[in-house]
Amino acid sequence: MIPFTRSGDLIIASLAQPESALISSLAAQIADLLEPLAAPPLIDDPDAAALYAATGIGGSAAIDADSAIARLLPDAYGGDAEASREFRGLTEMSLASRKVANARLVVETLETADAAGGELSLDTVATQAWLRTLADIRLTIAARLGIEIDGQPEPDDAADAELALRDVYDWLAWVTETLLDALED
Amino acid sequence: MVQTLEEVETRDQTAPELPWVTLVWNDPVNLMSYVSWVFRSYFGFSPAEADKRMLLVHNEGRAVVASGSREEMEKHVEAMHDFGLWATLQKEGS
Repeated sequence: MIPFTRSGDLIIASLAQPESALISSLAAQIADLLEPLAAPPLIDDPDAAALYAATGIGGSAAIDADSAIARLLPDAYGGDAEASREFRGLTEMSLASRKVANARLVVETLETADAAGGELSLDTVATQAWLRTLADIRLTIAARLGIEIDGQPEPDDAADAELALRDVYDWLAWVTETLLDALED
Repeated sequence: MVQTLEEVETRDQTAPELPWVTLVWNDPVNLMSYVSWVFRSYFGFSPAEADKRMLLVHNEGRAVVASGSREEMEKHVEAMHDFGLWATLQKEGS
């Protein structure tokens, strides 16, 4: 991958096909992971269902049991479970929807790049979606790998698949850094 | 119904005009450069101020990034969750 640089109003980079396919696959997994939480609840009353869909209000009764989802959609109130529950009920669906939309936009920009020989070109909206989705992907990988403290080393008995995932995690940090660097130019 | 009324009363008694704060907590995943960029681009902090609060998060485990009304802090916390930062709101000093 050739790092991100600024080109006028756009942020551009050049990706090899496997790199593009990897990020696209991970972004699609984030979208799939959160999609069920981004949908309005299934209710019989059509008027109420329409209202949920129109307002974007909705959410689960509690933080998700999946550690990755729990980290992506965390509690909002420190030390107040009831307030967190109430806030989640009002906002979780829209938060999840925005994350799904960001991830899907990342996939779209990569499809466009693939059709252009790997030349990725991001406008302001796409850049914002990329930064947020890169963060969401790394949070999800960290939850899967059980990374809980700063600079945590790989365990000695890590399986090959875990080591490979750790490499992806570190590479995505580098991708994020070059995107931030390009924004500063 | 009674329960709802009681809850509203409780909230009114315990939350007069005390300001609320938005806290960002340290996590091992988000890059220091990213956290600092979020603070600059979302809160409009100067680079020095953003770095100062980012280092507070990193070294002290958390930092206050905003204070004000409960509604404003809820908006900020939701925005931080959009960025993938771990943020919560609470009443100041609690």
